[in-house]
Amino acid sequence: MKTARALVAIVVLLALAACRAANDNFGFPRGAMVLRFASNDDVPTLDPAAGYDTASWTFEQAIFDTLVRYGDADVELHPAVATSWEASPDGTTFTFHLRRDVRFSNGRAVTAADFKYGIERVIDPATLSKGMEYYQEIAGSADFAAHRKPHVDGIETPDPYTMIFHLSGPDPIFPHKLAMPFASAVPREVVEKWGEDFSRHVVGSGAFKLREWIGGERIVLEKNPGYYLAGEPKLDGIVDQIGVNPELQWLKFESSEIDFPEVIPPSEFPYVMKTPALRALTLHKSTVTTSYLGMNCQMPPFNDVRVRRALNYAVRKRKLVEVLNGRGVVANGILPPNLPGYNPGVRGYDYDPGKARALLEEAHFPRDLKPALWFRAEQTNEMLAESVQQDLALVGVQVTLKPVAWGPLLEAIRQPHNVELFMGAWEADFPDPENFLSVLLSRDQFGSNNETFYTNPEVEKLLKEAQPVADMKQRYALYDQAEQIVIDDAPWVFLDHPVSYLIVKPWVHDLVMNPMRPERFERVWISRH
Amino acid sequence: MKARANAMELVGAAMVASLIIVATLAPLLAPHDPTRAVANSFGDPWAPSWKFPLGTDELGRDVLSRMIFGARISLEVGLAAMVVTLTIGVAIGLAAGFFGGAVDFVLMRFTDVMLTLPGLLLAMALVSVLGPSLLTILIVIGIVSWTSIARVVRAEALSMSQRDFVLAARALGAHPRRLIVRHVLPNVAPTIIVMAALGTSGTLLLDAALSFLGLGVPPPTPSWGRMIEEATIYFRVAPWLATFPGLAIFYAVLGFNLFGYGVLRRRTR
Repeated sequence: MKTARALVAIVVLLALAACRAANDNFGFPRGAMVLRFASNDDVPTLDPAAGYDTASWTFEQAIFDTLVRYGDADVELHPAVATSWEASPDGTTFTFHLRRDVRFSNGRAVTAADFKYGIERVIDPATLSKGMEYYQEIAGSADFAAHRKPHVDGIETPDPYTMIFHLSGPDPIFPHKLAMPFASAVPREVVEKWGEDFSRHVVGSGAFKLREWIGGERIVLEKNPGYYLAGEPKLDGIVDQIGVNPELQWLKFESSEIDFPEVIPPSEFPYVMKTPALRALTLHKSTVTTSYLGMNCQMPPFNDVRVRRALNYAVRKRKLVEVLNGRGVVANGILPPNLPGYNPGVRGYDYDPGKARALLEEAHFPRDLKPALWFRAEQTNEMLAESVQQDLALVGVQVTLKPVAWGPLLEAIRQPHNVELFMGAWEADFPDPENFLSVLLSRDQFGSNNETFYTNPEVEKLLKEAQPVADMKQRYALYDQAEQIVIDDAPWVFLDHPVSYLIVKPWVHDLVMNPMRPERFERVWISRH
Repeated sequence: MKARANAMELVGAAMVASLIIVATLAPLLAPHDPTRAVANSFGDPWAPSWKFPLGTDELGRDVLSRMIFGARISLEVGLAAMVVTLTIGVAIGLAAGFFGGAVDFVLMRFTDVMLTLPGLLLAMALVSVLGPSLLTILIVIGIVSWTSIARVVRAEALSMSQRDFVLAARALGAHPRRLIVRHVLPNVAPTIIVMAALGTSGTLLLDAALSFLGLGVPPPTPSWGRMIEEATIYFRVAPWLATFPGLAIFYAVLGFNLFGYGVLRRRTR
């Protein structure tokens, strides 16, 4: 009896402690509107020149401003600090007109020079920025990178609120590269004060500013009261609890300690979908991504187009999407449906095991061959790989499964004559077919992103022809042609375009998912609960 | 006392025999091909029904058929790994116990060192290096589980080698090999049988653990441990997917344990 009472006391105390933790507003006053979430890993960096991952971009988008940006839910360019912009008819010069009321959170006005400085930092090899390659087409960037010039000649700032970019060749999609956080306005005096430590003391002009970042524990942002858009942001703050694994995040979500978890754990997803009350809280987006089964076009028997086509007929893509509980759309070709330039009339491959068997027969596919299918070792991927293995067995192709960690997998598939079959996926950096076709299937990407070692002179020619074309209709027509040839050559089994899900507490409003970028928080608000 | 021990032994033997029958006759007993999709239950496992008594999994496969074929692989691995385990354990134990002295010291210190290594971790490391396949699993399980057998066999062999009949044979000039094979080994054999039966449940569990961690016999071969691992995703919506293979492992381990302890009781009554 006594023990029972002691137990009850302990439970009550624990419950009280839990309540306190939940109500402890991380230094914000009671009733402040604070968005709370959690993440497994620490944020790699807050420095816009350095970040190139979802976590870093989530915060960089909130703290810094770019000239142009995507809408909350679309992949079209919208004004940000630049109110308008125009391109020269030949597509080599871009002029941007800036707002005059933008200030860094330290009070200083943001001018064209701050954007120029931000981009020059990215181009400077000493910064070791992964964004470097996106700005190399700006005239004079090579001279600047080699320290032959103190500035990039191709970036002109005739007055503090006008910016002109001169490119070394036409690039109609250049403005999209200015929507990446790499091209944010950065205050030189703060960067120079902190040097390498800038990432921990970032100052930007965005809707939020950094309040504290305790490594491995939490990141806290607070509202930037001087933000240039009246009435935004609506939130008083954002708290990201770091080092919380997905299962623990799920428990915290269930107990309302956080407003949304990073992901719905695979072990909970079917349950969420079957529970109407939870399902109603989910958001989803079709990502600008294509998943595929890559076949090395230089390794027999996959150097035979009939074998590659046979595999395309053999895999039941609809089943894959069902196995994913509907988290995907069957792929017909390379480009995802929500990518501008997508051609709905593209001819793909329907499920037809009879045709697959006939093609394999014709190609004298060696029956004793047991090629390995490489994939990233992870539960969901494993399920998909097993499903593919099942389908291929039905047409007489026995594959063995080879789960590998992400790093080694990438390393392995980039070596020529090394991996015959692998599961891959590509997510767009910019909404343009170039970002899929040239990056993944052209010859100069051998040893890098062209992991199937596919090449076709006709495709090469079309890609080179399309790249500088500014007339979008003509541009997309050329890319469509190239895409159809690649589909017929079948270096991939085109699998699906994944749909990603998020679950959010009902009191969080106007949080929307973007197909290509992390969620933005400027317009998010929280009702009483 | 004697009757109870025998009952234990009999029940255990019957359970093991039933497993062996199921495993041998798997192609006849299983209603479906365990690796193919036979139902349209992709991503949404079906609950047990008349048509599929244990339901179907997320890839449309019949769970009952997978369980039956899983018995095959589990027994194969469990028993074959036991053979490997016995070979190593008995050889080292006999040599140490019979020869004594420096041989005993070296072999037993080696055994102690092996005992300090956590079995599952060692097995995981070995499988990762050698790559998962049926053969590597057998060898790896053998390598990590021979130590306890070696110690028991050594103790028995040590006491046997001091017995009068062994001393007599030795006095008659028998070769050590003859002494071991004809005099020591037959008298240690009953202990070895008990250890083998008890050890098989250990190897079964280790196999299931490795499969659960994705290091077991690679798919599409159905194995109980792997079935449980794949079912974790669906645990809240389709608990039967993990429950049945779990019960199967429980049944097999219980069978071998009952049989082993039964034999032990009868001998030490």
